[in-house]
Amino acid sequence: MKTADAIQSAVKGLKHNITRSILTMLGIVIGIGSVILLMSIGASAQKLILDQVQSTGSNLVFIVPGGTNGSRFAAPASTQGIIIKTLVKQDVDSLRREPTIVRVSPEVRGQARVVYENNDISTTYLGTTEEYSVIRSFNVEHGQFFTKSDVDSYNKVAILGSEIAVKLFDQVNPIGKSVRLKNNSFRVVGVLEKKGIGPFGVDQDNLVVVPLSVAQKNLLGIDFYNSITLQANDSYNIEFTKERIISVLRQNHRTNDPDKDDFTIRTQEDALAILGNITDILKLFLTAIAFISLIVGGIGIMNIMLVSVVERTKEIGLRKAVGATNNDILKQFLFEAIILTSLGGLIGIFFGTLFTALVYFILKSTLATGWVFQLPPSAIVLAVSVAVLTGIVFGVYPARQAAKKNPIEALRYE
Amino acid sequence: MIEVESLEKIFIDEGEQTPALRGVSFSITEGEFVAIMGPSGSGKSTLMHILSFLDRPTGGHYRFLKQNILDLSDEELAKIRNKSMGFVFQMFNLLPYASVYENVELPLVYSDIPKESRNEKIMKAIKSVGLSHRASQQAGKLSGGEKQRVAIARALINDPAVIFADEPTGNLDSKSGAQVMEILSDLNEAGRTIILVTHETYTSQYARRIIRIRDGKIESDALLNKEEHRRSAKDFIK
Repeated sequence: MKTADAIQSAVKGLKHNITRSILTMLGIVIGIGSVILLMSIGASAQKLILDQVQSTGSNLVFIVPGGTNGSRFAAPASTQGIIIKTLVKQDVDSLRREPTIVRVSPEVRGQARVVYENNDISTTYLGTTEEYSVIRSFNVEHGQFFTKSDVDSYNKVAILGSEIAVKLFDQVNPIGKSVRLKNNSFRVVGVLEKKGIGPFGVDQDNLVVVPLSVAQKNLLGIDFYNSITLQANDSYNIEFTKERIISVLRQNHRTNDPDKDDFTIRTQEDALAILGNITDILKLFLTAIAFISLIVGGIGIMNIMLVSVVERTKEIGLRKAVGATNNDILKQFLFEAIILTSLGGLIGIFFGTLFTALVYFILKSTLATGWVFQLPPSAIVLAVSVAVLTGIVFGVYPARQAAKKNPIEALRYE
Repeated sequence: MIEVESLEKIFIDEGEQTPALRGVSFSITEGEFVAIMGPSGSGKSTLMHILSFLDRPTGGHYRFLKQNILDLSDEELAKIRNKSMGFVFQMFNLLPYASVYENVELPLVYSDIPKESRNEKIMKAIKSVGLSHRASQQAGKLSGGEKQRVAIARALINDPAVIFADEPTGNLDSKSGAQVMEILSDLNEAGRTIILVTHETYTSQYARRIIRIRDGKIESDALLNKEEHRRSAKDFIK
């Protein structure tokens, strides 16, 4: 039997019971549709998260106090609510002398209520130097970022995140106005442009940024730092830069034992790797869910094909009588299954894409403005091959049952 | 063309042996019209199934067109069946959802004949049973007599050496039955070998030779004067 004839016989068989064929296909349509939709959502979520990390600036190195005993992914002690005072001015000064480092920005953080007239909002404040705006791409939309002289002369000036500016001042231009933070009056000199949630869960739009000196002295009363952000020099390998930083800090902290490091260094690559890991798991999880629905669809196909084989026993007998071999019968029924799943796959891709676009428009206008439309070609290729494979895997058993039928019994079947 | 010798068939069901054929021997030459008759359970259907390769004997010899059939694989038998045998069944066995044309085409689907050279053959076969005007009609919507004529056209399509007709009039009224038998008779006159399985005496009258089977053995094997019997068959129908 020629393949063209086998396909034609299969198409006729499917057309004969068109309603059932469509209902059978529905399982695969939903399965492939969800593979496309969930893989796309996974890819979009990954892109969103990684974009956010990259949008924080380039060539960044983060130093936080507390060690992780050499583990790349473990959380340092300082992130677990333990106050560690080991990162100090001497470290920053030494790092500034390093040729592998372009900019250094020490940071302190705290929680406080920020007050303007009758408006009173609980927020996070960040004390840092003017270099922070360059390193972390914190661009000012109105006014300007504070200067080195503001930091050096303990000027009580503040930069507001875009949302907090609106919440406090509504329509009023905040530049030049005073806000109160822990009973200190700060003059607003700038408003940041909208940036969204940062990669580490910090809401950059609801942040108040003040000079490091003021934050340490007037707001927190400390002389250590919560973290240091560095911008590495492009001309050096980032791993080498990391080695240099480690050696500087060990020298300052008088330690030689890597297990006793009282600081943790993370490069942007580390952050990307960690987030990449997390988002990969997320993608895998979503894909697994989609595949489960595909298996359910496949079993549906097998079920209906088995019913169809029994129903068409007489036809199988006749075909064998007029010269069909077992192989011919197997081919015909296998093609029926493959045509069902392939067609279902194509329709599934269509609807999957449609819903991906729908999710894109909904999320873009509500939750995540940085949401991007991602339809990975790999998802399409995977969907098509999985659809065909489902047809083969779940079609083979019914097709074999058909091929095995004894022609005499099949002809007699009522 | 067909030579069987000491043909045996024993069915085994749950350890119990039921002999259906117990040493049947005969031969059929080209151009014969043979009726195989016998009461139900006599083994005539089993014989027909073995003759048409739908079943294999458990003993004896069978040569078809000088080939020893027992040496061939199922695939090879399917090929010979496709090329050299035509089938007409009591229940017509058409694909009801397919057209007359597609039903007649069916054996060609399993042959080496390419699609483009099929049309002429198919239309010729449909014409030979007088159904040219119904070629595109769905087979399931035809009358019983028309269905059986489609089945005959299908049996003829590969120009087979022999046509097996298994109770071809069993589901037809006498008029359609007679029409079908006339067609088979005409085919035989044109030189085609026909093997008819029937329990109806009047249908068997169209044959030139009647092999009677009882309890798995040949009871009688007799040649008939064809003209005489054909007349009596027609009288019977009237």
